[in-house]
Amino acid sequence: MNDFQFTRILVYLPDLLRGVGVTFQIGLVSASIGLVLGLVLALMKFSRHPLAYWPAYVYVEFFRTTPPLIQIVWLYYGLPLITGQDLGAFGAAAVALGLNVSAFYSEIYRAGLVGVHRTQWQASRVLGLSLSDTLRFVIVPQAVRNVLPPMGTTTIYLIKDTALASAIGTPELLRIGQLISVETFRPVETLTMVAILYFAVTYPVALFVDWLERRFKIART
Amino acid sequence: MSGSLIVVERLVKRYGDHTILDDVNLDVKAGQVLVVIGPSGSGKSTLLRCLAALEPMQHGSIRIDGKLAAKGKEEADGEPDAASLRDLRQRIGMVFQQFNLFPHLTVLENITLAPRRVRGMTQAGADRLGIELLRKVGLEDKRDVYPERLSGGQQQRAAIARALAMQPKVMLFDEVTSALDPELVGEVLRTMRQLAEQGMTMLVVTHEMGFARDVADDVIFMDKGKIVERAAPEVIFEHPKEARTRAFLERLLDREGRRQ
Ligand SMILES: Nc1ncnc2c1ncn2[C@@H]1O[C@H](COP(=O)(O)OP(=O)(O)OP(=O)(O)O)[C@@H](O)[C@H]1O
Ligand SMILES: [Mg+2]
Repeated sequence: MNDFQFTRILVYLPDLLRGVGVTFQIGLVSASIGLVLGLVLALMKFSRHPLAYWPAYVYVEFFRTTPPLIQIVWLYYGLPLITGQDLGAFGAAAVALGLNVSAFYSEIYRAGLVGVHRTQWQASRVLGLSLSDTLRFVIVPQAVRNVLPPMGTTTIYLIKDTALASAIGTPELLRIGQLISVETFRPVETLTMVAILYFAVTYPVALFVDWLERRFKIART
Repeated sequence: MSGSLIVVERLVKRYGDHTILDDVNLDVKAGQVLVVIGPSGSGKSTLLRCLAALEPMQHGSIRIDGKLAAKGKEEADGEPDAASLRDLRQRIGMVFQQFNLFPHLTVLENITLAPRRVRGMTQAGADRLGIELLRKVGLEDKRDVYPERLSGGQQQRAAIARALAMQPKVMLFDEVTSALDPELVGEVLRTMRQLAEQGMTMLVVTHEMGFARDVADDVIFMDKGKIVERAAPEVIFEHPKEARTRAFLERLLDREGRRQ
């Protein structure tokens, strides 16, 4: 046990905390992209119009079934070759993860919307509510309740997946940890420290989702 | 005064190649209360759903107040435009067997949502209207309660108030007491009677023969997607012209007799 030398790692704490900041930012940007794009995809998949349905279908299946690490690499190395557009290491990672998670979010949105009984649509229609009002005031507020628990889990996976950005050198938490390991020859201590810091980011997200769930439940009774 | 409020002509409704409504003609005058009876699967709900524009139809037309409101989609000049559909929905209120209140909104919010969003009423105006309607259906003390806290009968009365808030010219009721415990049926029927007395035009699918006898101007008997017979309740119940009507009523009264 005495061989563990956590104190040697502590001097690197400021670097690690900077890594936490980058991890958090990648998570925030990719989750935002995913939440918006995921909703668009879910609505497209509800459409009976083939030009809306099929692109969304192909998109979701493509991003669900290929590894996010490769998607990051494609965007970082491949996109500049094709379009001349270089997103940089941070941008490529955040956008790739956002595109990836949107596929998962969209399926959650879909399940949430389907979970609202179809008679709620009928009741809205006979009252003359427009489609957007029906979604906004009737369907989405009920779907939110179905959607929150799987959204929370997926978001926690997303934050852990930001570690994949280390593969293209984005200076996020895992990447910083790897550099410190190499410098100190102390991979176990360093990575344990890194894991604790991941927990420090993901656990508040879990608590936040729990809190949201409670709030939406109370609104019913 | 008694011009026709609803005129349905040659309505044909199919699911796939299964014909559900087969050349239905119907004329409803303002203020009339029509009760629709008939065996399960005869197309009663489908007829109401077509009137409420919840279902497209293959042939025929529906006129409300003389204006074309819906038209068969296989007809030469196609479907009605979105504006006339919206118009139609504003004139017709519908209440369902399963209430279909919005569970995440209070009783008052359930009622005020459509007046605010569709009729463009202010929050205060819609609230005033909502409270007045809740008084009418005897739920003024439940305005801030969520639907799951109400009994079935109270939920159904709230659903009636919600439909009335759009100030429809016609109210459609599809077996609105069928999901209720027997002791709660009366309070809902009473609300419907009141509405009839105030001159509301109503189309009511129900198995409550007492209501049909007392309140209906005409009873319509449907079978296999057709209107078989339409007559005043005393005629339908005492001397129906059609053998099918007689057979249906005998079975129904027999069942009711055994239940008591
Ligand atoms: N969405 C649908 N798709 C296919 N067939 C349907 C659909 N809805 C109803 N039907 C069929 O249409 C026929 C008429 O149904 P409808 O609900 O109008 O009957 P009903 O007279 O209201 O019966 P009940 O007394 O049981 O409510 C039935 O045979 C039913 O199976
Ligand atoms: Mg029915």
